[in-house]
Amino acid sequence: MRRYISAYFEDEENLLRAAKDLREKNISIQDVLTPFPVHGLDHALGYKRSNLPTVAFICGAIGLAVAFGFQTWAFVVDYPLFIGGKPHFAIPSFIPITFEVTVLFAAFGMASAFFIVSKLGPGANNVIHDERITDDHFVIIVDLDEQGNQDENVKSILLNEEAQNIQIKEIES
Amino acid sequence: MYVSPIREPLITGEKTYKKITDEISAPIEGKAGKAWYAGIALTSSALLLGLAMMAYTIWEGIGTWGLNKTIGWGWGITNFVWWVGIGHAGTFISAILLLFRQKWRTSINRSAEAMTLFAVMCAGLFPLIHMGRPLLGFFVFPYPNTRDLWVNFNSPLLWDVFAISTYFSVSLLFWYVGLIPDIGTIRDRMKSKFKKAIYGFLSFGWTGSAKHWSRHETISLILAGLAAPLVLSVHSIVSSDFATSVIPGWHTTIFPPYFVSGAIFSGFAMVLTLLIITRKVLNLENYITVGHIESMNKIIIATGSIVGIAYITELFIAWYSGVEYEQYAFLNRATGPYWWAYAIMMTCNVISPQLLWFKKLRRNLVFTFILSIFINIGMWFERFVIIVTSLHRDYLPSSWSMYEPTFVEVGIFIGTLGLFFTCFLLFIRVFPVIAIAEVKSVLKSSGEKKAVTDKNESS
Amino acid sequence: MDNNYTFSRKTRTFLMALGGIGIVLMLLGYFIESPNGQRLWTNFLINNLYFLFIALFGVVFQALHKIAYSGWHTSLQRIPEAMSAFLPISAVLMFLLYFGMHDIYHWSHENLHDPILEGKAAYLNIPFFFIRMAIYFAGWIGLGYLLRKNSLHQDLSTDVKYYKKGKLLAALFMVFFAISSSTMSWDWLMSIDAHWFSTLYGWFVFIGLFVSGIACIILMISFLKSQGKLEFINKEHIHDMGKYLFAFSIFWMYLWFSQYLLIWYSHIPEETAYFAPRLNDHTILFFTILVMNFLIPFLGLMTRNSKRNLKWLSFMAVIVLVGQWLNIYLLVIPGTIGKAAQIGIVEIGFVCLFLGGFLYVVFASLAKAPLLSKNDPLLEESFHYET
Repeated sequence: MRRYISAYFEDEENLLRAAKDLREKNISIQDVLTPFPVHGLDHALGYKRSNLPTVAFICGAIGLAVAFGFQTWAFVVDYPLFIGGKPHFAIPSFIPITFEVTVLFAAFGMASAFFIVSKLGPGANNVIHDERITDDHFVIIVDLDEQGNQDENVKSILLNEEAQNIQIKEIES
Repeated sequence: MYVSPIREPLITGEKTYKKITDEISAPIEGKAGKAWYAGIALTSSALLLGLAMMAYTIWEGIGTWGLNKTIGWGWGITNFVWWVGIGHAGTFISAILLLFRQKWRTSINRSAEAMTLFAVMCAGLFPLIHMGRPLLGFFVFPYPNTRDLWVNFNSPLLWDVFAISTYFSVSLLFWYVGLIPDIGTIRDRMKSKFKKAIYGFLSFGWTGSAKHWSRHETISLILAGLAAPLVLSVHSIVSSDFATSVIPGWHTTIFPPYFVSGAIFSGFAMVLTLLIITRKVLNLENYITVGHIESMNKIIIATGSIVGIAYITELFIAWYSGVEYEQYAFLNRATGPYWWAYAIMMTCNVISPQLLWFKKLRRNLVFTFILSIFINIGMWFERFVIIVTSLHRDYLPSSWSMYEPTFVEVGIFIGTLGLFFTCFLLFIRVFPVIAIAEVKSVLKSSGEKKAVTDKNESS
Repeated sequence: MDNNYTFSRKTRTFLMALGGIGIVLMLLGYFIESPNGQRLWTNFLINNLYFLFIALFGVVFQALHKIAYSGWHTSLQRIPEAMSAFLPISAVLMFLLYFGMHDIYHWSHENLHDPILEGKAAYLNIPFFFIRMAIYFAGWIGLGYLLRKNSLHQDLSTDVKYYKKGKLLAALFMVFFAISSSTMSWDWLMSIDAHWFSTLYGWFVFIGLFVSGIACIILMISFLKSQGKLEFINKEHIHDMGKYLFAFSIFWMYLWFSQYLLIWYSHIPEETAYFAPRLNDHTILFFTILVMNFLIPFLGLMTRNSKRNLKWLSFMAVIVLVGQWLNIYLLVIPGTIGKAAQIGIVEIGFVCLFLGGFLYVVFASLAKAPLLSKNDPLLEESFHYET
């Protein structure tokens, strides 16, 4: 059986302090849900920096190679034409399209990776814990062990920061 | 983050997170007023007129337009550049102001980005319908074909195809990624099962999870970092439609950054035109404050001045160059048959925005609204002057001719205005016009603080 | 916390030695390479412009950020103020150009019988040239001085009037600079190739000035921190300077490419005549300039961490500073010395002398005021921000 405790705060500063307290005591936090990105929360929850910028770079590099390579192949190898007296390998002409395709690949590559990794997308089936999260509730969901040793500890930290609606839930695993 | 008390609050009226959600969601949840219906009736009529004129053009041919030798581009391409330019403000606000940490962008970026999408849609119509055979428009894309031909990678017109497509796609992506959490907010407020399902689908399953927010912030920054050079490149490529030529008045190296400044200039003017009305009608004056209007006016005077300096530079260098064709091109602009267009351009673009040096005027909504319309008229004429005066009299006097638009071209332009404003009116009923989550995130640091109660007052 | 910089005997001696080495190299070069008057005057112009641009950026940096209501930069204030101290020296040197006009500016000769130059004579003539020079320096030095004075007065009083006056001076400076930066580049640089013209030129030169200035500020932060000063400048400030260097290197490349693409594309001989000698006679230098000013900072400063590492950022700044010097070099020499131009002992000597002199003036100015300005209403933001 998996047990967890959920509660909500009305102010993000309370949430931040509660999260820090819980982490200090090595209590594992399953998730925190907020109406907007809370400054400092990443740090408090120990989240590592995302790799999405690297994905963007790689996709952009691919875009660059594809665009520049294709134009070169088309105009130097496949069907060279004399246009306006320009050389076949017209590097300055190729730059604008190369740049655009680089940005296109980088942006869509990274965004796709974001959706896939976060399991978001059209038709995604995610549980909405509380409809007021997207309004003004800051929800925290803390993992509890099966024996219930940590229950009081967690409850007291939460109550200390004015948490509301503290509930213990259980799911069959 | 510390915000100095000397700064004006970005959100007035002592709001709470809940109030922000309620007030910004209100236009979507409530019924539309008479004003909205009147508005959309007007804009839809304009749109229908435009569609009819476009259909007529495609059916009968480009002969229904006033184009001729040597003026092969007239109202059509003027409108194209005008619309693309207007679109640039949205990306500037979303991307470049984000990179410069300008918090005041949070209440205007959503509408501005939506405006970008609608403007680019309007712009994109023109290259399509001005083709001789628009139904073969797909020829512009480099797909393997039985003609064994590739597109002309040397042509700025093709660079435009890639630039505008990329610009539209990436702007759409940036706008939508930012919108997802707010769609989640609307989803959670909807009572009707049907609407909840639709917004649920569109929200991509957004939960508000901190991990997702963390990634969302990261990709927003990277998208901003990508969109910033993108916006510079798009209008530079559009300007190269002219600058890569050899005719006086068109071939000049300053065009790329000058067009970009002009685009931001006219785009901000359109944002002001839209938002001054929207904030009043939708009761969002606490979010889009007079301070926001003033900040936008400052960008207008900066970019307007850059445009003015570019005009002076072109005039000076034309003289300095000693090239008689270059010198005549500018003399003709100011004193030739289209002198009236040049006068409108100079008055609206150079003289009128300089009035914004006065703080009282920067904070005056009526003045700002009127000025914003003048600026857009001026910027339309700037493109008209550049395109038509250089084409109607270039190197060979025996070829000199005149150009006048037909009612078909004017109708199409009115149609794009109809498309733009119809889309915007629909947008405000369906999506939140202000970025709800972003505004909440600056409430604590930049919102108006609650007044401290007097110690002697009994509570 | 000691917020004052002392211009130590050690540094003074070092910089004087640097200048001395410069003179020695110039003399050595004079005997070994036998430079003619043209080469000497050309070097004089290149270096005076290079350091003038950095000094000018000192004022631009302050003015631009003031009118943008920026808060994060306020604790950095004193560094660009010190950079602008070189402006008067640069002015004096620039007027000395009077004695070298004929070696650099072809149009300054009499009786050329060149109809193109005759057409420009109303602008390109010696008296008007120097009148404009006087106006530029009067405006730059005058407004730069007033901004500095205002900043020092603000240290002594919390009256918000200094903040307001600063914004007004900043706005006036930006308007004056917007026009004069273009006209000065036409006068001092573009007119060297007097048959050529480009409407983008003024803005292109401006962006080089901007990038060089940013790189200089970065190196000064690095130097002062190595002396144990500027504890209030943290990783966030470094990150912002890194972003500037990264972004504006890209913007420099964009303007360079805009000019090049349009001239290459239309292929009009009177315009391509500008790039032909640069691309053909100085090919390696031509591409080195692009690598140093764009490719290296673009790849080297892309990641977040690279922009927050002062050592790495300083390394990038040095590369950009050398690259921008080479950029000005290539703007100038094809129209003066021509094909035979080479970077030799004479060139290094000039750079050492000017560098020593520039740094001497700047450090002396830095020592005249506390490194941390006081009482700016936005100053507190500079201590509590995160990028």
